[in-house]
Amino acid sequence: MSSVSSGTTATTGTTLIRIDALVKQYTRDTQVLTVLDNLSLTVDEGDFVALMGPSGSGKTTLLNLIAGIDRPTSGTILVGDQQVSSMSEAALAKWRSANVGFIFQLYNLVPVLTAFENVELPLLLTNLNRARRRRQAELALSVVGLADRMDHYPRQLSGGQEQRVAIARAIATDPKLLVADEPTGDLDSRNGEEILILMERLNSEFKKTIVMVTHDPKAASRAHRLVHLDKGVLKEDVHAERGKAVGMAAAISASST
Amino acid sequence: MKFFPFVFKNLFRKKTRSLLTVGSIVLPLLVICIMGTLLRTLESDPTGGKGMFRLIVRHKVSLTNWVLESYMPKIAQLPGVTDVVRMNWFGGAYVDQKPENMFARFSTSDPETLLKVFDEASIVQGSAEDWIADRTGLLAGELLMKKYGWKLGQKITLKGDIYPVNLELTIRASYKGPDETGVYFHHQYIEEALPRVKGFVGWYWVKAGSLAAVERLPKEVDAMFDNSSVPTHTETEKEMQNGFVSMLGNVKLMITGISVVIVFVILLIAGNTMAMTARERVTEIAVLRTLGYPKGTILALMLGESVLLALVGGTLGALLFVGLFPGFRQGLLYSPMGGFAAGMRLFPEIVGLAFGISVLVGILAGLVPAIRSAQRSITDGLRQVG
Repeated sequence: MSSVSSGTTATTGTTLIRIDALVKQYTRDTQVLTVLDNLSLTVDEGDFVALMGPSGSGKTTLLNLIAGIDRPTSGTILVGDQQVSSMSEAALAKWRSANVGFIFQLYNLVPVLTAFENVELPLLLTNLNRARRRRQAELALSVVGLADRMDHYPRQLSGGQEQRVAIARAIATDPKLLVADEPTGDLDSRNGEEILILMERLNSEFKKTIVMVTHDPKAASRAHRLVHLDKGVLKEDVHAERGKAVGMAAAISASST
Repeated sequence: MKFFPFVFKNLFRKKTRSLLTVGSIVLPLLVICIMGTLLRTLESDPTGGKGMFRLIVRHKVSLTNWVLESYMPKIAQLPGVTDVVRMNWFGGAYVDQKPENMFARFSTSDPETLLKVFDEASIVQGSAEDWIADRTGLLAGELLMKKYGWKLGQKITLKGDIYPVNLELTIRASYKGPDETGVYFHHQYIEEALPRVKGFVGWYWVKAGSLAAVERLPKEVDAMFDNSSVPTHTETEKEMQNGFVSMLGNVKLMITGISVVIVFVILLIAGNTMAMTARERVTEIAVLRTLGYPKGTILALMLGESVLLALVGGTLGALLFVGLFPGFRQGLLYSPMGGFAAGMRLFPEIVGLAFGISVLVGILAGLVPAIRSAQRSITDGLRQVG
């Protein structure tokens, strides 16, 4: 895991994600539903982007497409030098394991595994030996401040701790890109705040590019870019200094409801 | 191997269900081991191949009809015949007619030759000479000696039914061999008590000098007596045993059929467990795939869990069988099935078969849920709550 000095803005100016004319349609019976309509977007390396918009606006679909767990109907998605929209399923799986970390709203930890074992899960797909896997998982857990809870099962952890284990799992393979779907949606404000601070740290200190779907203006205000989607169309794309985007996020949130 | 702890922990995620499923595999597999052993015993040769050289010459109609004593020299002179023994089934009763007191009682006019023809058996108490020399002497199987606590020199009485005579016999020797549940005594003793039975023989045991002779002799022997009033039927020892088995009906088919039904039932139970497991883990599997787990790995993890579950059941079932087998065999040995149980042993191939069935059940039960889990789209899986 790369460890660098912290800073307020982690962008390097290099484009990490390039989305061009993206269309995603679902067919239900005979009805064709367009979820994303000719969307184009670029995200720089080290960026922290909040995807906002009302329910059904296509935020999660866009996130899934960027992360390579769904396929577009048309258009292209380039992440780094990989055209993820045209990769085979097996190649996508391999690419995801090395390049994308996922953070879910409901943490999605495996209940029968300890915190350490949950974090080790993505590492089992690598060629690392047991000792290296152990070191890597321990490091990830120490980054999220849970080095002392490694042997605890999810049921023995609070919601905030579970989400931190999930974040440790997401960063265990040291991916460049973290995608988060409502990471604070299931947490109280204090725990939510802690998670957001951690994500900020991952962005600024560890140079992780973060794309986060959220309804929460407070969460979105942590990002330094707000992308507002509505009915599958990019409505607003606002760059804001981190921590000073509360008003903007609140406005987007209000317009979304 | 690095995924094994994960698979193992998943296996006992729902402890009660897993234990019930394991239990539902253990008991049927125990039954399959027992049935397989019975079946294998029917097919086995407890004589260690020596029975291959023995032929039985009996009446063409059935074993209950006598043949003539005058056939003996005619059979003995045939090329390839090394020994001939006259045998009779005495039947009768020891103590009473209860099943637990039933055992084979034979009389022979040729005790010395009998020991040569059945040379896989050996005298362990007393001596062959004592038995041969004593007209009222009895040669008893070791198992019967233990069962009844008989001692050398002890007198026992057999009450006749086919032959209306009670015989008081003195135990002169005991033998160990493939079947230790029989007693043998001199036919001369019966003939003296019942002179009218003289000249009749139940059947002849013929020992052949070679396998070629074994193949040739049945036709030659039967041809000699084909046109007589007492025609014969000659067959190998194995053919005769198979004839006894077939008298019970198609036992092999019945045992095999029951075993197949049992395997099918285990398959349904294990399949149901795996289907429930897969349903409960839709989101979790989607998360694993999100982390980069390929479909093949998901398939292997699910199948591995299914096979492991079945193997735990199979191993416990096989261990239970191995543990219970000595008692089971002992119980049969002291029952009217003692003669049959004499050839029964722990066949490694049956225990192996139980493991094989476990693996097969594991694969078949897990295959459909595993394929479905691996094929489900990630986004559909993530959308599913719970």
